[in-house]
Amino acid sequence: MNMEKPLKIKNLSKNYGDFSAVKDVSFDLEDGEIFGLLGPNGAGKTTLISCIVTLEKMSSGSISVLGSDVYEDSKQAKINLGYVPQEVINHGYFTVEEILGFYSGYFGILQNKEHITYLLKKLALYEHKDKKVKQLSGGMKRRLMIAKALVHKPKLLLLDEPTAGVDIELRNSLWEFVLELKASGTTVLLTTHYLEEAESLCDRIGVISKGELKKIGKTSDLISELTFRTLEVETTGKVELQNTEYLKKQEGNKLTLEFPSSLKIGEVISSTGLDLNSVADLQLKEGSLEDAFLKILNQGRM
Amino acid sequence: MFDFSKQNISTHPFIMLFWKEIRRYLKVMVQTVVTPAINSGLYLLIFGVSLGSSIDTGFDTPYLAFLISGLIMMSCLNNSFQNTSSSIISGKFSGDLEDLKVVPLSSQQIIWAMCLGGVTRGVMVSSVTMLVGQVFYYFTFGEFLEIHSWPALIFFLFFGALSYAKLGMFVAFLAKTFDQMSAVTAFVLQPLAFLGGVFFSLNNLSPFWQKVALFNPVLYLISGVRYSILGQSDVSLMSSVMVAIVSLVLFHIIVVLTISRSQFKRW
Repeated sequence: MNMEKPLKIKNLSKNYGDFSAVKDVSFDLEDGEIFGLLGPNGAGKTTLISCIVTLEKMSSGSISVLGSDVYEDSKQAKINLGYVPQEVINHGYFTVEEILGFYSGYFGILQNKEHITYLLKKLALYEHKDKKVKQLSGGMKRRLMIAKALVHKPKLLLLDEPTAGVDIELRNSLWEFVLELKASGTTVLLTTHYLEEAESLCDRIGVISKGELKKIGKTSDLISELTFRTLEVETTGKVELQNTEYLKKQEGNKLTLEFPSSLKIGEVISSTGLDLNSVADLQLKEGSLEDAFLKILNQGRM
Repeated sequence: MFDFSKQNISTHPFIMLFWKEIRRYLKVMVQTVVTPAINSGLYLLIFGVSLGSSIDTGFDTPYLAFLISGLIMMSCLNNSFQNTSSSIISGKFSGDLEDLKVVPLSSQQIIWAMCLGGVTRGVMVSSVTMLVGQVFYYFTFGEFLEIHSWPALIFFLFFGALSYAKLGMFVAFLAKTFDQMSAVTAFVLQPLAFLGGVFFSLNNLSPFWQKVALFNPVLYLISGVRYSILGQSDVSLMSSVMVAIVSLVLFHIIVVLTISRSQFKRW
């Protein structure tokens, strides 16, 4: 077993003149996890990923992939890296299969037909293998980007908003594929705007805003720490609560209680002094990652 | 080292990029090889065959032979320059230049693989030009033009092509738009090539312009090829050799410095 972390980022900063796109960010990825990097547009997600793949030169800090520094030991670091950029890359005159052949070669593999065929089939591109990039649909182009990043079976896959502008069906199949990659031992770092996805896919998430890493943790922990649950209670008759701390709304027989996800439902109900005999119906709504996300982003402003 | 069935990140990425550069221009043969050959044919027809009889270069050989040697070097330089520069410019436009930064290729490997790819195109087109020239020569004089020195010819074609391939990389990496790229070609390279003695000898110029022309490095490169083919040229062989070596070293240094500071990002 390799004891080195798939990705280690230490005090990474990236400045453009006076503007800091990434400010002193440090975090590690654990072996075999899916890590989601969330943040609004312009938060620095793409800059951060660009620094990992050396498309952008960092201003200070260090990044290593499986123990290899991306600058000092560049080749070793890059051979373990698969990178799917946000924008689709065109390739002029070459066909899908040729592109994947070239890309394999760039990673030192001159004979890779078997794995390329596997990827083409897996990503539903096999029947389009003789087409040029411009003949492909938007979704196919995206899948080609992913195939390119996987020709050399990287240990760490970086996905920069791979599902932006992709229809739901394709999005779901892409995420299924990402889960398969995870099962085969690949570590994945992804950025996305679709919070529900991050919620269902990611083992851990980091929230980045204005270049700063605001929060990092297990997805479930972050949700329970930062989100609220809502409990809708329908009573048999009108009730008066002794404690209205968690009461958000009361309309006739309907009460809406809102409380931090870390609290137990029983505690909340008993603290309000509500008589269980008067309850006709209960409905619980879980707080979403979206709520947590907005809360983190708004912390500075509150 | 050359076991192609195994993964090897020290040599295989270089081999693949070199091969891709060749495949790229072969995909558009008409544009990259056939068009230059037709151009050379037209120059030979108009200047060589039709106007040539009234031009006296002061050389012992017919004007057609003088022109063929000039065209060979001009097509060699132009095409190697075109290959690296258009590969990089189109890579900036489509985004696949980014790929080179993300994969395990060093800057030196990128430079050499792309430049050697450019050299193959320069040498290929100049060979086609020579072939077309020989056909014209044969039909005009009933015999083929003899090559004075093959080693010298190979030396000048290779060094010239490599220097221009590096120059092409340098200009393309610096260029911020298509316009800037074509401005360099139109305002700097074409004039230098045309005034570098492809079509005329220094003997055809007035003493003042002869002195000016001696500052044009392309003159020495073209003269080198002219010497290799005809056994005589406007300037000494030694000065041509020196210019060929110095331009290669100079352009290599510039391109290394440029690439290490350049963005591979798309436009």
